[in-house]
Amino acid sequence: MPFAAPAPSRALQLLWQHLAPIRHPHFLECGPVSQSTLDVLLLRGARLYVADLITPARQNTAAFWTRRGKTAVFLADDFLAQIPAIPPESISAICCWGLLDLLPREALPVLVERFYSLLQPGGVLFCILREPYLAAGAEARWWFETLTVVGSSAGKQKPFPYPAVTNREMERLFPDGNVKTFLTRSGRREVLGIK
Amino acid sequence: MTESTPKVMHPPAPGSPHTLLGRTVVAQGQLSANEDLLIEGQFQGNITLEDHCLTVGTEGHLKAEIRARQVVVQGSVTGNVTAREKVEIRRTGRLMGDLVAATVAIEEGAYFKGSIDISRGEKPEESQDVTALPRLEDREV
Repeated sequence: MPFAAPAPSRALQLLWQHLAPIRHPHFLECGPVSQSTLDVLLLRGARLYVADLITPARQNTAAFWTRRGKTAVFLADDFLAQIPAIPPESISAICCWGLLDLLPREALPVLVERFYSLLQPGGVLFCILREPYLAAGAEARWWFETLTVVGSSAGKQKPFPYPAVTNREMERLFPDGNVKTFLTRSGRREVLGIK
Repeated sequence: MTESTPKVMHPPAPGSPHTLLGRTVVAQGQLSANEDLLIEGQFQGNITLEDHCLTVGTEGHLKAEIRARQVVVQGSVTGNVTAREKVEIRRTGRLMGDLVAATVAIEEGAYFKGSIDISRGEKPEESQDVTALPRLEDREV
């Protein structure tokens, strides 16, 4: 898969400003962990939790779906069971990258609510949402090149399975609605939800 | 060597750096050693190799609490791992548990679920100074 040029991230700049007083932030990484992400976050002094939710979402893993009558139902609780045991309100930041673009709408409130419960007050949820005009790119991967620079694979083949999440939807999903959105030139928005 | 004394299959060739627990070995209990160890079989319990390297081969299946100088995972491990130096999870490896090590390397394709904590000798200068980041003029939408 070809790689896109690493891109400075205004959202990550704000995230790290927000976490600056925390010497050993607790991070939850929701993608397939990369060595670069490991190195960057561990050097920053983070304790890192890893739960790759993106790969099964991208592969639309059958184990997380069932049928009720003629309707396919996403098993959100089974999906979330992949997250390791983490004390509530103990996480400083969650990186879920493009996960929200890969899940059915009905799963998003449960997912965001779970993330919110793990965040400590002042904790930050970082995600990347596609713009509505971006039809393909569901296979893209992201990682930390540095604390404030995002590396990515330039996936452009696989169509997105669901409509784009709007800014307003994101504000409704995140309790208290404290959401900041940053435009990028890649057809994606970077979003921070601050607890 | 162990409470349950697992049978060592296919002893390593002279000069081999590892003691081998072969793929037909199924054992449980406490395992400690003063030499490097390669496990290709199944083991359940506790493993302590304080000054040596544990390698879980591609055929190895462990449900174990592991303490070693260095741990290399090519097979499957469920349990917590503490390494004084380094934990490596190779692309065929699966590790579910909490890691504490000075260095962690995870190859692309490896599966890991759990937490990673670096055993650090509190050196504040090693952390990047994020307070020095430039202030943002947010362009929010």
